Amino acid sequence: MGEALGISGSRGLTGSAMAESALRVLALVTDAFGGHGGMAQYNRDLISSLAACDWIRDVIVLPWAAAKSVEPLPSGVRQLPPVNGRAGFSFAALRSARAHAPIDVVFCGHLFMAPIAALVSKLLGARLWVQVHGVEAWEELSLLHRRSIEMAALVTSVSRYSRRRLLGWVSIDPTRVKVLPNTVDLRFQPGPKPGYLLERHRLHGRKVLITVSRLASSERYKGHERVIRLLPRVLTEQPNTVYLIIGDGDDRSRLEALAAELGVAETVWFAGSVLSEELPDYYRVADAFVMPSTGEGFGIVFLEAMASGIQVIGGDRDGSRDALCDGALGTLVDPENCEELISAIQAALDHSACTGDRSNRFKRHLFTGYLNTLCQFIWDETVSANAAGRRR
Amino acid sequence: MCGIAGIYAYHYAANAVDRTELQRIRDHMAARGPDGLGEWYSENGRVALGHRRLTIIDLSERGAQPMASADGKLVVTFNGEIYNYRELRASLEAKGRTFRTQTDTEVLLHLYAERGEAMVNDLRGMFAFGLWDAEKGALLLARDPYGIKPLYYADDGWTFRFASQVKALLAGGKVSRDPEPAGWVGFCMFGSVPEPFTTYQEIRALPAGSILWVDCVGTRKTKQYFSIAEIYRNAEAIASSTDDHLRLIAREAVLDSVRHHLVADVPVGAFLSSGIDSGALVGLMRDAGQQEIQTVTLAFEEFRGRSEDEAPLAADVAAQYSTRHSTRIVTEQEFRNDLPKILEVMDQPTIDGLNTWFVSKAARELGLKVAISGLGGDELFGGYPSFRDVPLCVRALAIPGRIPGLGDLSRQLLTRVFAQSVKPKAAGLVKYGGTYPGAYFLRRGLFMPWELAAMIGAETARLGLRRLNLIQHIDALLQPQPRTTFGRIAVLESSLYMRNQLLRDTDWASMAHSLEVRVPLVDAELLSRLAPITARNKSKSKRLLASSPRVPLPAKVVERAKTGFGTPIQDWLQRDKRLQRWRRVPALAVENCTWARRWAFQVAVA
Repeated sequence: MGEALGISGSRGLTGSAMAESALRVLALVTDAFGGHGGMAQYNRDLISSLAACDWIRDVIVLPWAAAKSVEPLPSGVRQLPPVNGRAGFSFAALRSARAHAPIDVVFCGHLFMAPIAALVSKLLGARLWVQVHGVEAWEELSLLHRRSIEMAALVTSVSRYSRRRLLGWVSIDPTRVKVLPNTVDLRFQPGPKPGYLLERHRLHGRKVLITVSRLASSERYKGHERVIRLLPRVLTEQPNTVYLIIGDGDDRSRLEALAAELGVAETVWFAGSVLSEELPDYYRVADAFVMPSTGEGFGIVFLEAMASGIQVIGGDRDGSRDALCDGALGTLVDPENCEELISAIQAALDHSACTGDRSNRFKRHLFTGYLNTLCQFIWDETVSANAAGRRR
Repeated sequence: MCGIAGIYAYHYAANAVDRTELQRIRDHMAARGPDGLGEWYSENGRVALGHRRLTIIDLSERGAQPMASADGKLVVTFNGEIYNYRELRASLEAKGRTFRTQTDTEVLLHLYAERGEAMVNDLRGMFAFGLWDAEKGALLLARDPYGIKPLYYADDGWTFRFASQVKALLAGGKVSRDPEPAGWVGFCMFGSVPEPFTTYQEIRALPAGSILWVDCVGTRKTKQYFSIAEIYRNAEAIASSTDDHLRLIAREAVLDSVRHHLVADVPVGAFLSSGIDSGALVGLMRDAGQQEIQTVTLAFEEFRGRSEDEAPLAADVAAQYSTRHSTRIVTEQEFRNDLPKILEVMDQPTIDGLNTWFVSKAARELGLKVAISGLGGDELFGGYPSFRDVPLCVRALAIPGRIPGLGDLSRQLLTRVFAQSVKPKAAGLVKYGGTYPGAYFLRRGLFMPWELAAMIGAETARLGLRRLNLIQHIDALLQPQPRTTFGRIAVLESSLYMRNQLLRDTDWASMAHSLEVRVPLVDAELLSRLAPITARNKSKSKRLLASSPRVPLPAKVVERAKTGFGTPIQDWLQRDKRLQRWRRVPALAVENCTWARRWAFQVAVA
């Protein structure tokens, strides 16, 4: 994975210095290798890259959720069997910490695990690194969670927005909270519209607008409804437009009913969940990706769409700003402003062929050397003191 | 004295610097530097520095900023004055360094090249600067020991921005306006926003006496290089000294500071009140050899013929030292006219600064670019009642204050039994009065924590109180704790009231009129020389200052009881029909409510 992402540690330290000084990381995560979804993807990317960093000796991964199958692990990574349940996971975390001592850094992959991660790091005298993603960090959590986060030597957030929201309720030195954005798998590439999808969905000669996300009633902020409501106006300018919705969930029936009510049921196509292998092709079959969300932690789907070379439209109120680099990589709109949104959609469909070098520009989101720098940051700021204490 | 700004897009995902943003930030500070402007961009477009210039030293174009080193590897944007720049320059030249200008700015570049970040220990003056080190790929920010010059920064996780003013950063359009509850709580409790907080979550002040590095990983931890508490802690009494000897030491120290503060290529004037501090400084300006001195005093028609009128005594002092003196009358109508502008340029909410606004305006009208102020005399020489009251309070309440829960219990009992008739501070006496941080808060506090919900809302108050952590915040400034009570109060007054209120207000109110105010009694070198005398030898400190000029101050000035700097402004404020929203808050509508509490509320809701 690390190689695919263009990640490679420079291994600038000399051999003996590395052996003595490199850090062992215990990563407590929801899921990683063998898991599904954006968070598992992020954890895989991060852990793979960590293991390639100069400053890291190896990473011991303890996942919460069961993995269906574990792909070959990168060098320097060892994934322990998953342990579900709060008590069991806590016990396993303590046992793993002891079994793999000395642990220098405890990585906490989700805020709900922060208390146990803080306890383990405290018991081991290790440094705590907490990862935040999106909504889970936006509102104030319990005292225990807050205190746990405030113990962290480093907090990484996928976006500036999540960072800002976290700093709204956690009293931690902001210099310890860094941004480490989502990255993207390089299997998402530009290419011709795949014939089998054009056939399957009868898309020949149509302009395709696409959204990829869960259709959960708890995540209506993603903005499918906003797009559907604008479709009648889009169709007056671009009558051959199709809105292809990838993903499934308990909000689907409501959205289908809405499309029917607005008379665009023939234009909104709910494709449901699609095979992971086909997802890159779905992006390629589209002309523009739109997700006028108000609640994204980051929005990895924006990166996937950009990597696939299509136009991208996102909201300007949340982590989407980061994915679109403040509008440098796509069009940002006020998601509540119909006129802005419709103008952006029409412009995207009008200029869908003009992809230029857009598919390459997303590559700024690759971790590249930043993670290595971040690990050096942990080393500089905290771990050297910790190691010195342990040697004494 | 100038306005500085900078942007560093340090994160790999960040866009290159938006030049128009830098220009918006910089030009919002046009009044800070009306004589010139400049900008500099790194080759890769990821670093930018901006500058607005008020020419005071080396008036030529060669002094324009941002200024780069000859090899182009260092670039600096600098606000302030380095008073010992000539000595530093001489020592740098002795080491073979070649200068292109006569500025103190260039000294910073060479000194950094020689000493790295440790350079700040060599600087005597008031300063805030950003220095880009291209070889290191890092930006260094530094602020003077007392925090005379402001420096604010915002780091959103991708891009680092800094400027001399909070509102300038906002003017760039890319910094979040999310409020910072700790800043608002601090303002309500102290009447000024306690650094490092501002009223915006994303914007922080670089603490006084600190440096900060920003590199490709982002903002590093702030490093403090100067501590007022440490100076007092380490101050040893001068053994077996006579009063005359102490007076001599004090005179030499203050004269040395005044002499340094006169370095300029433009005339240096002075604010003159009827007090000892400003009068003694004018006398010492004469002793330092300044021939022409323009002095300016504020006066009010309402005070004519009354004891509050500073004009007659100030005129006596001016006559004593043969200055060219001007008394500027401020009227209620002028105040009403200026008020909207005052609220507009007030960089952070504050309950003070109005008097400085008018005296700076008057000085600028007289053509001055630089004026000396006696600010800091009360902190240095123990002129405030707090030097007496706070230790008394601590001694009286130390024991009851240690009994767990008694403070809260007594407050609740008092407020329930006596309701509105008990003053908030009286209700908090047991809770806070037994420790130095607590007793100091009672002395200087404006609103007590339990009053805040009515002022700024329950949620903001809850979050802000938690984050500010009031007593710990004050106590941290007091570490390492000075051994003497004088030292402790001096530290608290200097690190809280003077830094967050007086110095900050002096900056925005004077810079709005393109006037540089210099404060010779706020000087780290002077402090280190005087602390042993004031803190350990229990001299009648203010007398030391009064006796410093060769030609003594008029006896009437020395003997005059301290009245504080009174103005009719508080009456004007209370009469102003635009400022009546406090009437809707029951706690402010009570008859015995002080004007400062009402004014604070008005500022908060402005």
